[in-house]
Amino acid sequence: MKLTKSFNRSLWVFHLNSGSCNGCEIEIVATITPRYDPERFGIKLVGSPKHADVLLVTGPVTKKMAPKVRRVYEQVPDPKLVMCIGSCGQSGGVFYDSYNLDGPIDQVLPVDVYVPGCPPRPEAIIYGVVKALEKLERLEAAQ
Amino acid sequence: MDLTAPVLTGYGMWAPVAWLAAFVAATIVVYLLWKTGESSYKKGTEQGRPYLSGNAEPEKGAVHIRASNLYWGFLQALKGYYDAIVPLHTGILTDYMIWFVAVTAVLLVIVGVLS
Repeated sequence: MKLTKSFNRSLWVFHLNSGSCNGCEIEIVATITPRYDPERFGIKLVGSPKHADVLLVTGPVTKKMAPKVRRVYEQVPDPKLVMCIGSCGQSGGVFYDSYNLDGPIDQVLPVDVYVPGCPPRPEAIIYGVVKALEKLERLEAAQ
Repeated sequence: MDLTAPVLTGYGMWAPVAWLAAFVAATIVVYLLWKTGESSYKKGTEQGRPYLSGNAEPEKGAVHIRASNLYWGFLQALKGYYDAIVPLHTGILTDYMIWFVAVTAVLLVIVGVLS
């Protein structure tokens, strides 16, 4: 994977709900409030996967959402990272034995960073973003 | 006649050398802009298709104004005519042959009566 210079300036994140209960969404919104203000580091949510460096996926990936999740992932330009937010994306969470799942997320997409919690606190999400940045730095150093 | 000399027409000016210089400058600017693009962009994949909340892109005619909308007023003005004529266009060849034979017969009768 070849990294572009854009990663040295900022990390733009696109959020995708693959069937989440909205708990993780509330925490993601809390993360971008002035209390934490990740935008001062250039980390912000964007409205299109085409502008994003990181795909932030919540939810256990329902059967209806699986093709849309794949399509959105393909629309994110390379190089890209996938962050899985919440327990549902990691294991299915409370929906683990549902008839309606194609997930968890790593069954559908290659996940780079997992942020556990139901839902994870904003501090944990920011920690996950830092881990993503560290992974990118390691990739860059290896090039 | 010097082909490279500017020509004043009375309505404007035509200067081939200036035009060529502008064309070359524009080409260089376009090339520089193109060079700043993302080289890892994958043509012909989902990266080149619009983002529609993860949905597949519908056929263009389903999401854009169709060309037929341009002559909507014309169709509306001649609605009575089109209401009668459109059902006759069945797309079945034998129907058209019947019309052809029938109209030819009528014409022959008229020509026969007139002559």
